[in-house]
This record gives sequence, structure tokens and C-alpha cells, in this order.
Amino acid sequence: MDTKNLKYIIKTFVFILLITLLVDKIVFFVLNTISDQVFTGQSIGKLNHFLKIKDDVDFIVFGSSRANHNIDPLMISQNSFNMGMDGRKIAYPATLIKLLPKEKKQIILLQIDTENAFSENYTGVDIQALNSKYNRNKIIKNEIDKLGQNNIIQNFYWSLSYNSSVLGILKNYFKPNYNYKTYFGYDPIYVNENQRKIFKNILSDEISEKCQQRLAINKIYNSYLDELKLFCEENNKTIIFFTSPKFNDTCKNDNDKLSEIMKTKKLIYYDLTDYFKGNNLLGYWKDKDHLSKEGAELFTQSIKKKLTNHILGKEYTFH
Amino acid sequence: MLFNSFEFLVFFTIIFMLYWLLNNNLSKQNILLLISSYIFYAWWDWRFLSLIILSSFIDFKAGSEIFKSNTVKKRKNWLLVSLIANLGLLSIFKYYNFFAESFTDLMTKFGWHPNDLTLNIILPVGISFYTFQTLSYTIDIYRKQLQPTKNIISFFTYIAFFPQLVAGPIERATNLLPQIEKKRIFKKEWFNEGVIQILVGLFRKIVIADSLGIYVDTIYGDIGIYNSTSIILATFLYAFQIYYDFAGYSDIAIGTAKLLGFKFNQNFNLPYFSKSLTEFWRKWHMSLSFWLRDYLYISLGGNRKGIKITYRNLMLTMLLGGLWHGANWTFIIWGGIHGTVLSLEKYFKSTPYAHKLNGFGFLGYPITFTIVLFSWIFFRAQSLNSATIAIKKIIQFDFSMPFIGDINSVINAILVLSMGILFDLYIFNKKIDLENFGAKFSITKIAIISSVIIILINLFYSTSNNFIYFQF
Repeated sequence: MDTKNLKYIIKTFVFILLITLLVDKIVFFVLNTISDQVFTGQSIGKLNHFLKIKDDVDFIVFGSSRANHNIDPLMISQNSFNMGMDGRKIAYPATLIKLLPKEKKQIILLQIDTENAFSENYTGVDIQALNSKYNRNKIIKNEIDKLGQNNIIQNFYWSLSYNSSVLGILKNYFKPNYNYKTYFGYDPIYVNENQRKIFKNILSDEISEKCQQRLAINKIYNSYLDELKLFCEENNKTIIFFTSPKFNDTCKNDNDKLSEIMKTKKLIYYDLTDYFKGNNLLGYWKDKDHLSKEGAELFTQSIKKKLTNHILGKEYTFH
Repeated sequence: MLFNSFEFLVFFTIIFMLYWLLNNNLSKQNILLLISSYIFYAWWDWRFLSLIILSSFIDFKAGSEIFKSNTVKKRKNWLLVSLIANLGLLSIFKYYNFFAESFTDLMTKFGWHPNDLTLNIILPVGISFYTFQTLSYTIDIYRKQLQPTKNIISFFTYIAFFPQLVAGPIERATNLLPQIEKKRIFKKEWFNEGVIQILVGLFRKIVIADSLGIYVDTIYGDIGIYNSTSIILATFLYAFQIYYDFAGYSDIAIGTAKLLGFKFNQNFNLPYFSKSLTEFWRKWHMSLSFWLRDYLYISLGGNRKGIKITYRNLMLTMLLGGLWHGANWTFIIWGGIHGTVLSLEKYFKSTPYAHKLNGFGFLGYPITFTIVLFSWIFFRAQSLNSATIAIKKIIQFDFSMPFIGDINSVINAILVLSMGILFDLYIFNKKIDLENFGAKFSITKIAIISSVIIILINLFYSTSNNFIYFQF
């Protein structure tokens, strides 16, 4: 190849690289400015909302959609927040817990589940939902890097932080769904006829569940349980783990095993998988894992009772 | 190694630099291409490299023997060696279990319960593609349309050339082999076109196709529980998922080859802008449809042996084309639908009514799209049973609200799909050929367009799945 062509190739790539990096940074800073003012919506608003109130609340619920839809924190404390979100497992809530203030006394309710705890394949992928803060928060960056969930390219192209969340951010910036000041993170499910029909179809087509035989705790899960215990002990926090109800859980060996592990680790753990067993109504459910508003209210009452009786003692009341 | 992976970026950057450094030595350059192609393939599973090497050996030998033979019988025999070896390997690895299962099912219906005949066989990635490619070489020599190469490295490179090895386009020896044997010259136009086409391909694949795949996989993963609207919507989105997935792959393959100084044939040309299924097949996976036409349909007699034989040939070609995609009855039915409609179109064209409907030609677009959409149900469904459930569910006409799931991902998918369709409409209206798009652009223009595409990819890319056509 002659020098002229070589120069052309180098020049083109350098140009592409420079212009791309420049546009990338502009896009990143514009999106930072916009997203910092967004406090509604699941993609980033709820996270911003949490970061804003995390130092003041005294009771916080973490976990997946089974925490988000199943527990109304206001029924437990007026100064509370439900940070449960769809698809979150343990890496995401554990990272957020590590962002909590050191001195303030806080009670944390963290929903976990046996599927992820004993999954061979869980890699902490849910932490990627914190990508929008990767280039802006050291704790978050360290956790993402530690799990190997970082995208090498993100060190150069910062706009990757906003992958898949741009529309949500813009929508909530221009037209917030709700007034975040009156939102406490809990999203009750009002089940409509179609959803009810789908659920009935699922139940009628149900095939018997295959129980997991290999019950070794996932390494990442295990390490987060230890880290959370240590963090909470050192930072004036009380952490309670729980499993959320299931419509009909036929496998029990995983629950027993998890209870045993939690006991060994001296962690407070409520296995509430069968909470509705013996008193189960279709109206309590949206599907096999998520409660309707009615079911969630009943469930929250029982959590409150447990917390009051077993953890807080009679002398303690939430604000 | 996937085109949309970081490994490929590093791999290709190294190969690209070494390749042009060796520009003064053609044989070294070809050896580099061959070794890199084998590394590219071995990244997936090195054991199956032996199959490619075996196929290449057999066809190199068969090609030269066909050319040397002076009797028709000898020529035929060597062609048979090539056909049996290649189709034999393909049959074992791709179709053995399918035929064994179908045989067992059939016997069970007659009351006989044979033992399980299936074997634990892995389907080697790309086997359908390179088998067709290597067959075109021996058939073309047999037909005296091509002279065999004497250079074994060139031939092996032709079979294994990494941009098109695992999912096409199926390049004919008549097009690619002479390019391998000739010194490549760096052309700025091709470089520009290549860069743009790779980026457009990446956008089509990891932004559009993968975003659409989330909804499609949800619905088709458990088709029995959703209403008519959800299934129609999922099928509609699948039509675009598969198009952008495969067209995207082809764009990256063609673009990558261009950066190395090779020109592949076009593989997709806005197929959904077709007024008939015949036109659709001139624009969809063109390298396969032209292969089937030239080596199967014409070999069967094409349209030279009367109208009935023509219909039979069309039907057989499409049924086998369906089977080529996968060892499943769903693909055969998919091919059958296309074969039937193509035959009907042929019949209709031969009637006196055809010209009377000339003014309604525009109706051909929605009609063709609907037929293609219907056939995709079979293509996407995991089994014949799932496809039947999907159709039954659709004809229940339960047009209540579709299942949405994660609203953000659905909105994202619709937005990126709109971008893709608008881009396609733009190039369709302006009669722009994507293959030549960017040839005359200045460096600044290339850089600006590239950065816009890269930022869009950063902001909207979805979790990368394997390319759909890898399974074929």
C-alpha cells in the first residue's frame, strides 16, 4: 500500500475517533444535565429519587419487582421508600445499600429468591442497570468493574451509560408520570380482566415444576450476603432478608437450604414463599410471583407485624 | 467470533493492518486470509475446522478431475463425489436427527415403536453456507462455466474467507475466486463504502433486530397464552427482526470484505418493497435464491419442460430451500407456502386477466407483505404445534389490547424500527444503492455520519443475541 492510501486510512480513522469522542462527550453531558432533573420513571428517575432521599429515610425496601409490587412501605413507616425494581437481583440493591449514609440508623428489607441464590449462571448482570452512573460515581464504578459487568468501551464512550434509557429520560423530563414528592416507590398492581385471563391460562397449562437438584450457593450471591452483613453491622443498619410469596411453590428443598445458609451466616431471614398457602385467592395475584394490590396489602401487614414483634421491639416505632 | 463483539474488532484491526502491509506479496496475503479465517471459525469450535478442510480438499480434487476428464461419465462421477461428500456431511450433521425422529414418529403411528435413533450431534455453524458455496465451484466446472484453480491456498481461502464463512452471502467461485487470485488494490471508494456499510449493518443488527427480538421472543416463547393482537404484533415485528438481523449481517460481511479489497454481491435489496413474491425472492437473501435458481431449479429443468413440470420444479426448489434453513417441518411448510404462491403467480401471469389488473399493481405491496408475514409464523415458531397454536389464536380474532411487557423496551424497539424503516424508505425513494453509499464522501462527511451512527448504537443497542442465520 502506498503512503498516500495509508495516510488516508489513518486520517479517516483519527477523524472518526475524534468526532465520535467529541459528540459522545457532548451527548453525555447533555443527558447528565437532563437526567439529573428526572425523578420519575423506572429507567433513571426512581434511581435519582432514591439517591435524593436515601440519607433521610429510616426504612427502605430493596429487591426485584416482587419487592416493588408486593410491599407498601408507607404501611410500615411514613419515612420510607420502596426501591424494588423489575429484574433486579442482589448486585443492584447491594450496591445501592453501600451508598447509604454511614451514621444514620436505617432498616433495610431486602427481597431475595432461591432461583438466583442457587443459580450457576448468575453473574451480577442486574448491576448494569446502574450504568448511567458508571462514569459519575466511584462506588458504583468499582462494583460494576468488580463483577466484570463493565463494557471496556464505556471508558472511552461515556454515552454508553445512557444505553436504552434515553427515551425514558426524555419522556419523564418533559412529561413526568407523577409527582415524585408523593411517590414512595411502591407500585401496586391493579389487575385487569386481560391479565386475569392470561394468568388463568397459565394456571390451566401448568406443567409440574422441576425442582433444582444442585443447591450450591452462587459465589457472587454468597459474597454479597457477607458484604451486606458486614456493611450493615459497621454502619448502623439493620438488614432483613425475605423471600416473596409464590402462588404455588412445589419445591421446598431450595427454601430449606437457603434458610440453613442464612442461619449459618447469622442473617435475619423470613421465608415467606408460602405466606398465602391455606388462604389463597386468585384475587391476591397478578401472576404466580406478583401480588395484586389486595394481596400486597395483606402481605405488607404481615411483614409489619413480623418487624414489630421480632426486630424492633415494642419500644421502637417508625416515624 | 461474532461480528458484533469486541474480539472481532481487535481481530479485524490486526488482520486489516497486516493484510495491507503484505500488499506486495499476494501469496502471503492469501495465507494470512486463510489462517485468519480458520482462527475466526475455530473461535466457535476448532474441531469443526476439520469438516471445512475436508470439504475443501474433496472439492479441490473433484474440480480439477472434472476439468481434466475427457469423458462425460468421468466428469459425472467426479461431480457425484463432490455432491455426495458435501451433501452427505450436511445430511449427517444437519438432518440425521430430523429424519430419524420423523421416521420414529411415522412408525409409531403404525403401531411399531422403534428404539430412539437420534444421535447427540452438534450442528457446525455455517455448514449450510459453505456447503452451497463449495458445491457451486464443482458444478460450475462441470458446466464448463469455470476453470479450476491450481492454487490450493486460493481455493481454501475461497471456501473459508471469514467475512462470509458462517452466514454468507453465498459467494460463487466465479465472483470470488478470481478476486482472491488477483492482486487487490486499495480503493478509497470501497474503503468509504465499507466503513459506512459495516456501521449501518451493526445498527441494523444490534440496535433494530435485537431490540425487536425482546418482544418477539417473549410472545413466541409461550405463544399459547397471548391474544390475537399480541401474536400479530410479534409476527409483524419478527418480519423486521429477521430482515434487519440478516441484512445487517450481510452488510457487515460485505463491508468487511470491501475493506480488504473484495467485492461481494448484494444480498438484500429492500425486499419488503416488493409487488409480488417473485420480486421478493429477487431481493431477499439474493445469494441463496439465485443459488437455488441456478443449481436446483434449472437443474431440475426450470421452465423448459412444460407448465406442470415448472410448477413441480418451483415447489421442489422452495421446499428444499425451506429445508436448507433448518431440519424442521416448520421450515418445509414455510418453503411450501412460498412455492405455492410463486406457482400461483406464475399461473396468473400466464392468464389473460393478468394485464387487466395492471392498474392495481400497488396492491401487490400489502398483499405480498401479508403472505410473507403469514409464512414467517412457521419460520419463527419453535415447532409445528406452536405454529398451529399461533394461527388458531390469530383466528380467534381477540383484538383486545396486546401484551406489552416492559413498556420502555417496546417504545425503544418501535423508535429504532421507525429509524430503520425511514432510512430504507429514503434509499428506496432516492434509488440509492447501499452498496455504493458513501463512495464519494469526504473524510469529514464519513466521520460525521460514522459518529452519528456510533452514538445511536451506544444509546440504543440491545443485548446482543446470536445472528438468527447462524442456526442455519
